[in-house]
Amino acid sequence: METRLLTINADPVFQDRALAILDEVEDLETQIVRNLSEAVQALLEENFDGLIIEGEAALAVEQATNLRQHFPSLTIACLLQNGRRSDVAPKAKEQNIELLSAARSDRRLRVTLARFVRSLDSQGTASEGIDPCHSLIGNLNQFSAAEILQMSCLSQRSGRFTFKSGRGNSEIYLQQGSVRHAVFGSVEGEAAVAEIFRWRQGRFYFEEGIISQEQTVNRPWAHLLIDNLQKLDETLELVSV
Amino acid sequence: MRDKDLETKLRLVTLQLENWKKLHDLITYGLDKAKPIISTEQERQFTEIRANLLQEIEYVLRELNMLAEVSGKAMSVLQRGVSVRGVRDLSNDEVRRLETDWNGVFTKFGLMQGQLKARRKELAEQTTFNYYLNRFLRRPATAH
Repeated sequence: METRLLTINADPVFQDRALAILDEVEDLETQIVRNLSEAVQALLEENFDGLIIEGEAALAVEQATNLRQHFPSLTIACLLQNGRRSDVAPKAKEQNIELLSAARSDRRLRVTLARFVRSLDSQGTASEGIDPCHSLIGNLNQFSAAEILQMSCLSQRSGRFTFKSGRGNSEIYLQQGSVRHAVFGSVEGEAAVAEIFRWRQGRFYFEEGIISQEQTVNRPWAHLLIDNLQKLDETLELVSV
Repeated sequence: MRDKDLETKLRLVTLQLENWKKLHDLITYGLDKAKPIISTEQERQFTEIRANLLQEIEYVLRELNMLAEVSGKAMSVLQRGVSVRGVRDLSNDEVRRLETDWNGVFTKFGLMQGQLKARRKELAEQTTFNYYLNRFLRRPATAH
């Protein structure tokens, strides 16, 4: 299966050194956008395994930090064209953003980019397979995650929701109508809930009575719902900037 | 296998097509009399797309060996369409000319993209050995 990579490059025709290298990588599909707003639009519409932001260090990390708030599980790397790496390294580390340096030699840059693409491959994707015995099964095209969770929380359900999409599998555990635990890959808690809110494609099922020992979400459902819907609105606003 | 030149050309064509589509969306909006409000944001987008196209068109067309056939039409569109408001103020004849020229440029790029994708598909089905063997066997005979 092809790895899908989104690249932000303000001048993709004339500053295309990294893009030319990415062109040669087998089983990689690269989509190029020129600015943050186009990137948000692409990320909302399609699934990508990773994102590379090319540019000057401070600006690239600022854009990456902005995107991290809206796409918590996305693998993001900044390919720094100039500027001191040490200036932005702490901020990047805090936001789980990888820093790649645009080495002078093509050979070294090729190695750097190949390593990053391989790291995306190894993350794997979701496997399908839904048991028809589950108490609630559906499709995210018809019902959004917010609607399904709202319904389950109002009826004071306890159990596990599993969401499966091209982005991966995620789980949300409910206890007596409250979200107790959420996990998506390495992301846990409210960030995982926020991620699932954005999914517009995929399937879900609910298993009654499965309770999580872990508790990573402490706020009432109503607060989560309002915050996440507001966040989604803010993400959509970025598209129109 | 992937051919570096082909991938570069495909990337350039895709980027051009994206910009020409966006330009067309804004031109269409400008010509739609039912939508009286043209925002500063739309004008900013139009200027940005136009600036990118002006900057890149000649280089891209030369890379794709399309300079002679498309350059005139592309420049005609970019010179006529100075802003969304400017497009709205064009005469009927100029609008028709603008649309015809845009269509000419878009068609050429679309065709080129199709040809490049077909070539990529052929290459994907070939092994590296077959590729070089075919190139060797297809070498034209030298005249003496």
